[in-house]
Amino acid sequence: MKILAFDTSNKPLTVAVVCDGDVLASIESTEKKTHSVSLLPDIQQALKDSKLSMDEIDLIAVAQGPGSYTGVRIAVTVAKTLAFTLKKNLVGVSSLEVLAADGSEDKILVPLMDARNDNAFAGVYQYQDGELVNLIEDHHTSMEKLLDTLKQYESDKLEFINATEHLTDLIKDVYPEAMVMDTKDSLPEADKLAKLAENKPAVSDIDNFVPNYLRLTQAEHDWYQKGHKKDGNISYVEEV
Amino acid sequence: MKKDTLILSFESSCDETSVAVIKNGKEILSNIIATQIKSHQRFGGVVPEVASRHHVEEVTHCIELALDEAKVGYDDLDAVAVTYGPGLVGSLLIGIMAAKTVAFAHDLPLIKANHLAGHIYSANLVADLQYPFMALLVSGGHTEIVLVRAPGEFETLGDTRDDAVGEAYDKIGRVLGINYPAGKKVDEMAARGNDIFDFPRAMVQEDNLDFSFSGLKSSFINRVHHADQIHEELNKDDLAASFQGAVLDILSNKIFRALKQHPVKQLVVAGGVAANQGLRQRLKKDIEERNLDMDLIFPPLRLCGDNAAMIGAIAQIQYDKKDFADLTINADPSLDF
Ligand SMILES: [Zn+2]
Repeated sequence: MKILAFDTSNKPLTVAVVCDGDVLASIESTEKKTHSVSLLPDIQQALKDSKLSMDEIDLIAVAQGPGSYTGVRIAVTVAKTLAFTLKKNLVGVSSLEVLAADGSEDKILVPLMDARNDNAFAGVYQYQDGELVNLIEDHHTSMEKLLDTLKQYESDKLEFINATEHLTDLIKDVYPEAMVMDTKDSLPEADKLAKLAENKPAVSDIDNFVPNYLRLTQAEHDWYQKGHKKDGNISYVEEV
Repeated sequence: MKKDTLILSFESSCDETSVAVIKNGKEILSNIIATQIKSHQRFGGVVPEVASRHHVEEVTHCIELALDEAKVGYDDLDAVAVTYGPGLVGSLLIGIMAAKTVAFAHDLPLIKANHLAGHIYSANLVADLQYPFMALLVSGGHTEIVLVRAPGEFETLGDTRDDAVGEAYDKIGRVLGINYPAGKKVDEMAARGNDIFDFPRAMVQEDNLDFSFSGLKSSFINRVHHADQIHEELNKDDLAASFQGAVLDILSNKIFRALKQHPVKQLVVAGGVAANQGLRQRLKKDIEERNLDMDLIFPPLRLCGDNAAMIGAIAQIQYDKKDFADLTINADPSLDF
């Protein structure tokens, strides 16, 4: 199976073409690039490097979030449009799972994304028989709550991935012995994303494929706080 | 005979996701518009992050509908066009990424279109344009007088120094208790009321072609607040009529000043506020009174708001000039002419 995979959910941009487990091409850039500018040229380059045409690709794999809202949207829009327009299979993989894929085989893996104000997007994963298994679903959480939840695991087994300096400080306060990989050492790799996608079911409804933001917009949050409820009879977007 | 050109066009600069198929820049084969108004009405105005999220939800479905309705396939297309600015960056990016992807996947030339130029060329879908022509672009984001000297050659003669005219409507609408977008309701109320409050007509004495609406907006709001304080009951229809009366005087004054400097055969009025009935009647009357031999072109209501058909219309001109873009295009939120 030939897979085109890409992830722009954070600062790094990564694109890979993988065929039956072999990495045919891989582009990774950590320097500050504008994802909206670079993504399609990088996809084009990855296909060229792998000597494949888009027609030969069987599956499109994309990091579906969480992450930077704009970043995730860029990759998801390209992935769903590509799958739709060329009638390809599409698989969305958690951006946190992609980060966890880089973790140690014998650790409890906690991939993170700093969501500011002592909050994070986080999930808990573990390798079991070579497969990455999700133990706690990706969610938006305060660091305090997350670190408390993690008390159920042996603290020397914990491995935090993609922690900013600030998150590292918060983690070290509670788990001084835990392993922490900082953001520079925690780069998403699209070839790993491709391999994760291989074991997941393809999206059945491409039109309704959207990012996993894991967080309401501030405006919607405030709207619900005021006691409003979504009215099932109103479609907020309508064709006119 | 010249071969027909079919352009698949995208527009997502604000709160409408739209995809169209346009033939030769003139004929609308399809023009799918998904509007988010009901969503943003919850918040009293467009929330950029919410808008971007909706665009992702809608975009592929709109492409599908546009191709189906036009009864064309990718092989029939000659180019893909997309609005790259001005607008909300997060919204623009969804149309841009989708358009680039379709162009890439089907090896089609890509055209990056200016949203303002698109509004002006919505007129091309209903009339044969004769150069030079004058355009009055009035919307929630823009108030400009533009001279179009030749196909795709624009010269901005006048611009707003503060609020856009549509924005002023929304702001005074809020004071009248009207939910965004307020233009249509205020227009209806104005038709019932009388211009009795004598709001200021900013800059109409000045010999330039620029607009200002913030002073008008402030006097309106002050007048209403003052009445509230002294428990005076003001007739809302009269307030609307007085506001609209001032707006129309300002627009009329400046556009005819421009037309005097640059006589043309056609005046195009485009953008969301071009749907305003008061404006339509006023300019028609002004032209008759002045005995001008000039066509007044108002695109139909569906083409006044944001839509992809107008992007297909301007894109045709760029297509003819082979003005193509590559896959590195990015959004330009503050793009002008
Ligand atoms: Zn517009």
